[in-house]
Amino acid sequence: MRPLTEQETKILFEKLANYTGNSLKDLIAPLSDAPNADRYVFRVIKDRVYYVLLSIANLATSVARDNLASVGICLGKFTKTLKFRLHITALPILAAHARYKVWVKPNGTQPFLYGGHIVKAHVGRMTDETPANVGIVVYEMNDTAIGFGVSARSSAESRKLDPTGIVVFRQADCGEYLRDEDTLFAG
Amino acid sequence: MPPSKTRTVKNKHAANKSGIQGSKSSKSGPQDGIVKQKARKQGPPPSKQAKGRGAAGALKRKKKIYTEKELGIPELNMVTPVGVTKPKGKKKGKVFVDDKESMTTILAMVQADKEGEIESKMIKARQMEEIREARRAEEERNNSERKSKLDETKDSLRKKRKRSSSRPSDGGDDGEGAGIKDAVSSGTSTARPKKKRVSFA
Repeated sequence: MRPLTEQETKILFEKLANYTGNSLKDLIAPLSDAPNADRYVFRVIKDRVYYVLLSIANLATSVARDNLASVGICLGKFTKTLKFRLHITALPILAAHARYKVWVKPNGTQPFLYGGHIVKAHVGRMTDETPANVGIVVYEMNDTAIGFGVSARSSAESRKLDPTGIVVFRQADCGEYLRDEDTLFAG
Repeated sequence: MPPSKTRTVKNKHAANKSGIQGSKSSKSGPQDGIVKQKARKQGPPPSKQAKGRGAAGALKRKKKIYTEKELGIPELNMVTPVGVTKPKGKKKGKVFVDDKESMTTILAMVQADKEGEIESKMIKARQMEEIREARRAEEERNNSERKSKLDETKDSLRKKRKRSSSRPSDGGDDGEGAGIKDAVSSGTSTARPKKKRVSFA
């Protein structure tokens, strides 16, 4: 377990900033105003990045490397080419700080959770002035986050789209907890 | 530069050992052009040698000591390859970023970049939307113009027809009506011979 290097930190923040707005800085802000207040940090175990409280990370150093499976929230992993890939486990953090959102109708939830992209017919609502090719968090109509993706078209363009046209390209959905159960946390 | 005078020196390293100041052997420097730092230290200091001729002579005789860089030896021709040598005095391994300040700095930089990117994207999208809107408005205007023109022509045609139908007994002074009448009359006269009639008065 080790902290991130400068390059890795930059790559990670660039990825997160695709989905979040200015509130991203709250991610690493200390929990209180006290001088030695606890704060969240990023730690790398093998190639996976975890978002964890500093106090917990310090405690975790007493666990042998082989025995430590996971600590904190897994945000994603670094590929061999040093790109960062967000996992579905990062959804609570992204949903809390999301900049662009799309709400899918009840009839569109299942196709999305089975790994499909979001088509125009299934879009219930969408953030106004969403540009094309930016990260977007997907919600059900009752404001439950169910995944995230990348907008295929701007919101203005998608209004004129035919019902079968793709509005959001899926990147991760909650169905992965079942589909990728064996590779999501290890391997 | 070739030597001006040919001399035979049996042992060039023992050249300074003659002990005579100002002699040829004491004046001569090393023959191979490359002077090592070590060799200079071993020999007597140049100021001592130059006592006989003065300071100017000493300066003239001071040989330049070349470093490896100045000699222009190809870099690849070294004992250690270029990529293998590591800078000295630098920390080995990765440099971690774990303090709050540097993390915040990196985050601020990244966010500023992203903001700019998204802003430019939105501006571009807005401009494109404006262009599309203008194009659509122009197309609509053209369509309406074309339609009104078509309606006008239709109306004019309708009026003409009405006028011609309202005055059928005039003999048809309108071009079209007259033409048709002529054609009908001529057609009847030429194609069919007159029927014989019998009238009972």
